[in-house]
Amino acid sequence: MAWIDQALKEGSRLVDEVEIFYAEGVSVSADLKRKNVNIATRSEECGLGIRTIEKGRIGSSSTHDPKQWRKCLNAAIASGRLATPQQWGGLPKQSVSDTDLLCYDPSLTPDPQVAHGLLGQMLEGAARHPAEITSGSATLASATDIIANSSGLRYTSRHTGIYLSLDAIRDQSTGSEFAHSCFMDTDPSAVGERAAFLASHSVGGKDIASGNYDVLLSPIAYAELLGAAFIPALSGRNVHAGRSYLASRLGDEIIDGRISMYDDPLRSKGLVSGLWDAEGMPTKRVEFVRGGILASFAYDLRTAYRYGKESTASAIRNGATGGTAIGHHNFTVEGPRTSVADERVLYIHSLVGAHTANPMNGDFSVEISNAFWMEDGEFQVPVRSAMLTGNVFDMHKEIGGISEEDRQIGSMVLPSIRLISQRIIGK
Amino acid sequence: MSEPSAIRYYDLRHVTGQGTLIDIDNGVVESAGTSFFNRAILRVLGPRGWGILQIDNFSLHSKKKFNSLLLSASRLASITQQDVHLSDATYRALDVPAMQEDPRDVSIEEKTGLLAKIEQAARHPRVVNTRANYIERSEHVTFSDSSGHEFSYEICRSGYNVLAVASRNGTVQMGFERRHSIMGFDLRHRQQDGEKAAQTAVALLDAGHAKGGRMQAVLDPELAGVFAHEAVGHASEGDLVQEGSSILSGKTGEQIGNERLTIIDDPSLPEFGFEPFDAEGVEVRRTEIIRNGVVNAFLHSRETLAAVGNGVAGHARASAAEPPLVRMSNTYIENGDATLDEIMAACDNGILLKGSRGGQVDPGRGIFQFNAEYGYLIENGACTKMVRDVSLAGEILSTLHDILLCGNDRTMHPGYCGKGGQSVPVSDGAPHVLLGNAVVGGSGVD
Repeated sequence: MAWIDQALKEGSRLVDEVEIFYAEGVSVSADLKRKNVNIATRSEECGLGIRTIEKGRIGSSSTHDPKQWRKCLNAAIASGRLATPQQWGGLPKQSVSDTDLLCYDPSLTPDPQVAHGLLGQMLEGAARHPAEITSGSATLASATDIIANSSGLRYTSRHTGIYLSLDAIRDQSTGSEFAHSCFMDTDPSAVGERAAFLASHSVGGKDIASGNYDVLLSPIAYAELLGAAFIPALSGRNVHAGRSYLASRLGDEIIDGRISMYDDPLRSKGLVSGLWDAEGMPTKRVEFVRGGILASFAYDLRTAYRYGKESTASAIRNGATGGTAIGHHNFTVEGPRTSVADERVLYIHSLVGAHTANPMNGDFSVEISNAFWMEDGEFQVPVRSAMLTGNVFDMHKEIGGISEEDRQIGSMVLPSIRLISQRIIGK
Repeated sequence: MSEPSAIRYYDLRHVTGQGTLIDIDNGVVESAGTSFFNRAILRVLGPRGWGILQIDNFSLHSKKKFNSLLLSASRLASITQQDVHLSDATYRALDVPAMQEDPRDVSIEEKTGLLAKIEQAARHPRVVNTRANYIERSEHVTFSDSSGHEFSYEICRSGYNVLAVASRNGTVQMGFERRHSIMGFDLRHRQQDGEKAAQTAVALLDAGHAKGGRMQAVLDPELAGVFAHEAVGHASEGDLVQEGSSILSGKTGEQIGNERLTIIDDPSLPEFGFEPFDAEGVEVRRTEIIRNGVVNAFLHSRETLAAVGNGVAGHARASAAEPPLVRMSNTYIENGDATLDEIMAACDNGILLKGSRGGQVDPGRGIFQFNAEYGYLIENGACTKMVRDVSLAGEILSTLHDILLCGNDRTMHPGYCGKGGQSVPVSDGAPHVLLGNAVVGGSGVD
């Protein structure tokens, strides 16, 4: 990787600061068509992203070909010339260990035979319920990211990942389940069992009359709504740009006083754990909501420097060629735990169309999937079809309790959440 | 271990090019730059199923290297179990429509200045945020296969989005306009789109919530196009039919909708979802998915056509280095003969839904949901109060019978469609339609 040093050296002669982000990795996957494997794939990925800063003007470019670093560097500098200059306090210096293995499992190797075996275990689990398998996938991945800058920072992180999913159907009832981990600790059989359970037990769903009901959102349904409309309002950029419902509510009680929300980048076995963010800032816990009170927003360097704030090390990257943005690592919802399904409640496993929620004000009206009446912790009668309508901010003031168990859904660690008297539109 | 001799078929699709992004947020040029991409996919059909290599930064130096890639892919194929067969297909490359002005001939400085005018036009005393993005992607695609077909094309897609956010006493609303095309540079003299985004955002501050429930609904051409895409298009995709996860499986020849309803997918149309040939090199053609309310044909790749039948191949599409999936391209409801006045009069009392914030479908369950940008209550055939955050959901098979009237004013609208982790450019369109017995979602109460 001598080219990284060369690019930093050459870039430093042309602009104030240079940042290099390079990622390379290999993944294999095996995909099911019904019960048979019909595709096996190996993917070799690499990408280079360059940012330059010259007198507060930030430029960027990317390429899949690291040999083209000079062309990429020149494009980044050209891009910076058009950018509006802003307050800028410099790229970070090295401050933590130079290697991050928080999300790395050396026993996880991208082997197609292993992926094939994982599919077999999912199918074994699915056989416990009467449902047809429609599709499924097992992926094993290993990648290395390098971030280096002209302030002498050079960090390397290694990641591994396993991704499992299975889709099932019985009559007109569908069921899906998935598992993601950085370690070889998933239970493929449980993934298959759950997908087939949801499909087979949703058969014969009953209608529900329009009205207000207590609902229990699974971590999946909860993640869909939070990701679509709540979490964007915590981005410092959206706050200062006037695109956040929460912009003027810092210090206010915005949700139930029993609930806290924070980002936990150093979570053990977290899916998106890391010692530093996508700009090389050392990560730390970020308290967004403490006991119902809005405590802080998320900042990357660009937004923090511009508005006189501290970076919360919340920069993320969507791959080397995806550019930086404000995000989070392991967004966590915490509070006193209770048995949330003892009393009768409408359980909602997932949602159709959660991404259509209004990110400016939090309003949503979405179709529910794999919904059941639940009582004494047991699934009772399935509900065929209905819409859930409400507001993602208001619903956090109508919390009946959060479950004793958490589940990691992508970059969120969430309980099931019981909500009191939510509006259901029946058909 | 499989040897290359066990290869029944292979194809190679290589995509190179560059993208330009400009982002102006509240008057600040956040970014204005160019990036480069180079990705390829090699698919090998072994004795049973597919072995696939996805390669970033691809280059082909020698026959020896290509043979080693074929061997690697055929080794992957050796773990597959499903007997995959490919239908015969016709091969032809359409010409990419000529652009009136090639965006690559316009300097990024000029593009930034023109985008800034659109962003500035969205400013208004009640508007607290204005944001505009310009997106340009120029792709050079080469395709070759083991049957000797070789095609290539170059296409440039470009366009912009403009957003206005209005705020008053804690109420926050947005207006959004977009324009994307394959027909060339289209940033000049478009300030009215910024003004319209601002007008919508400000007007929505005074809009109420719709009361959810069953009612008559008039869908504008943009939303009715999304309806065609979500409620019918996805369920007609041959891979879902093959898997058994489409409600339309086994329904060929059945009357599932009103006889006024005809739904088409046509990748050969010079709209945003245009493809000169599909991701398997196959000729692209118009497919009538629903003809006069009857299930007529599915969308297919060569594999799904061989497995399912009923339709034509040529509907396989792929992002760079991603495997071809059966996808929609330009999907629309065919014009009927009703005027908008006739549709409004027939609705009498109900709701007019305008614009789209997207949607989603569970094609196996036959359930869809999509969201309008806003709407108006219809009382005695006329629009009255504006409403916000209103959505529509339903069951595919029952809803299609409830399309009571189709207008004569079809327009197409560009967008992107996600499936299997891939996003491809599409367009959706329709005339105004009257939907009876619609399930409308909204949080308003009496």
